[in-house]
Amino acid sequence: MVPDMTSVLEINGLRKTYRARGGPRRALDGFDMQVEAGQVHGFLGPNGSGKTTTLRTLLGLIRADGGRMRVLGQELPKALPKVVGQVGAIVESPQFFGSFTARDTLSLLCDAGNLPQARVGWALELVGLSERSKDRVKTFSLGMKQRLAVASALLKQPRLLILDEPANGLDPGGIREMREMMARLSASGMTVVLSSHILSEIQIICDNVTIISLGKRVAAGPVSEVLAAHSTGQVKVAVEAVTDLPTAANVLANAGISVQQDADHLMVSGVDKPASISRLLAERQIYVSELTPVSADLESVFLELTGTMPVPGQHRSVDDSVKVTQA
Amino acid sequence: MSLVRAERRRFIKRRMIVWTLVIFVGLLTTIGSIVFFTTEKVTPAARAAAQAQADREYQRVMDEYQRCQESPTERCQGMPEPQREWFQAEYFMPPTFNFRNDADDFIIAWAILLAMFSFIIGASFVGAEWRSGAMMNLLTWRPKRMQVLGTKLSVLLGWLTVVGAVTFGLWTAALVGIASAHGTMERMTNGAWQSYGLTGLRGLAMILAFGALGFGLASIGRHIGLALGVALGVIILGQFGLTLVLRMAEVHYPEQYLIPYHMQAWMEKRVEIGDPFAAPGIEAPTKIISFGESGSIGLGVVAWYWRWRSTPCAGAISPPRRSRHSLGRVAAACAAATVGLWLTRSGRPPAGGCWR
Repeated sequence: MVPDMTSVLEINGLRKTYRARGGPRRALDGFDMQVEAGQVHGFLGPNGSGKTTTLRTLLGLIRADGGRMRVLGQELPKALPKVVGQVGAIVESPQFFGSFTARDTLSLLCDAGNLPQARVGWALELVGLSERSKDRVKTFSLGMKQRLAVASALLKQPRLLILDEPANGLDPGGIREMREMMARLSASGMTVVLSSHILSEIQIICDNVTIISLGKRVAAGPVSEVLAAHSTGQVKVAVEAVTDLPTAANVLANAGISVQQDADHLMVSGVDKPASISRLLAERQIYVSELTPVSADLESVFLELTGTMPVPGQHRSVDDSVKVTQA
Repeated sequence: MSLVRAERRRFIKRRMIVWTLVIFVGLLTTIGSIVFFTTEKVTPAARAAAQAQADREYQRVMDEYQRCQESPTERCQGMPEPQREWFQAEYFMPPTFNFRNDADDFIIAWAILLAMFSFIIGASFVGAEWRSGAMMNLLTWRPKRMQVLGTKLSVLLGWLTVVGAVTFGLWTAALVGIASAHGTMERMTNGAWQSYGLTGLRGLAMILAFGALGFGLASIGRHIGLALGVALGVIILGQFGLTLVLRMAEVHYPEQYLIPYHMQAWMEKRVEIGDPFAAPGIEAPTKIISFGESGSIGLGVVAWYWRWRSTPCAGAISPPRRSRHSLGRVAAACAAATVGLWLTRSGRPPAGGCWR
């Protein structure tokens, strides 16, 4: 594959198998991913799908069994020491030494990365921790630790920012602040890879997504395209008098349109122009009170693609995801 | 250099390390104070008083002996005639601190205490980082793991050298002060000072070795608890348990297999041990454990362990797995190697090339 010059992150055929007591467990099974410069890229997958393994492999914390990775045009893991200064990352839960203050924690990282100490105050200000900078990390709530983790990732002023569940533990205000910060960082030219289970946030924040299930990519591309590709094309139709619903269903069915009747509305599919529904029904003096195209949201697409839609009365194991043969 | 700077700062910011050093200095101060307040300088008046007391004691015992001669009682049976040399003035002198005779014991106390604390400091310096996850965070900044661990170890040993040198200097100054005020500095020739300095250097080497040992164990287990657990295991099983087994098996010169005797030999240059299981009626010769022998065993274990880690053997598990999942093997192999080295004294692995 010829590397794309605008790609900040490229992963091809990444494989990783863990040895476990119950036998080898394949965490990554030829996973592919591509992130373009300047994107806010959502990285989604159910628990145990391989997200964190991918990020840990990228950061050199574990070794892949096969496949290729390139970050900022450099081959990993060989060139990791060269590019690590331009990659800010938090992986899994925030991990800091509890007895140090927030300022000490960042200051030591600045020293380790040979960065100016002035960035400590800047990063703390950015995540709203300036006033608690002299408190020990062990006194912080999960949300505050999360903010500190983001601050530590931002210290490098990286070109690529990898955030694993950055909104974990944040209050609604904090989630919104985080979202706005992502937008600001992206606008400044930073590429952000964001792993999260808050799919509504991903849908708002991200330009592109990659969805992983059982170690394989099951969907990738701009959010709008992924949603469109999995849209049902259904239209919800309600009429003025509920008693007219059976007649309306017959009219549409006779016109060759697929109809499903519910208690107070019809679900119509296979219609190119929803206006034709109004016209057909109006000819029989049945007047439409609601005509709404049903659009897919990221959550439903995610649940469908990964096969993790809850079924009443059934319990799902973390590994009960869908195995997809091609993305 | 930036990582060295960061680790240097991290070391002195760690509260546990600071408190450990404070406790160590507190213990030395307590020992020094006890010595100071229980000794006094030998003045002519004190010497005269001691002489007078020695004379009185001699006279009292001689009177009793003469009474026995005149009218023997049951109590007098077997009473020897008191000799004048049995009642010397020195025996009645107040405790005093003779630097030449006594300082080595206090340097050994300094070295053993600091070695113990260095083990804890070494284990804590890296173990707490692993446990809290701060190490993984650091590795996302400096991905060369061995470089990070190597730098941490170097910084640890550097700081321990500084702490060792400074406390050795202060301890020496305190002992000189005690000797000057409540004892004597007599016979401290250049040679005596040189010997004293070399004892200090051997002590410093032991301190660094214990620091590195704590660091290494905590690195393998990624937890300070593992290092402390191994230390406890060695004390309980390796010392008390081994002592019991050796005595039950009536092994000759059992002390040669016990670590404290080798530590003592390292510090005092030699230790003489007897054989409690020599044949009845035969006076068994004593055995000398020299500091060279003890040091060689320590170095041999380190060299063997290094070779064990780096030499692939048939049937051995692959290095990436071994590094994380074979603590039991490491511990068992270390124990086997130690015993093997001591027994064979050859330093060579058994047939097959591997101890695994």
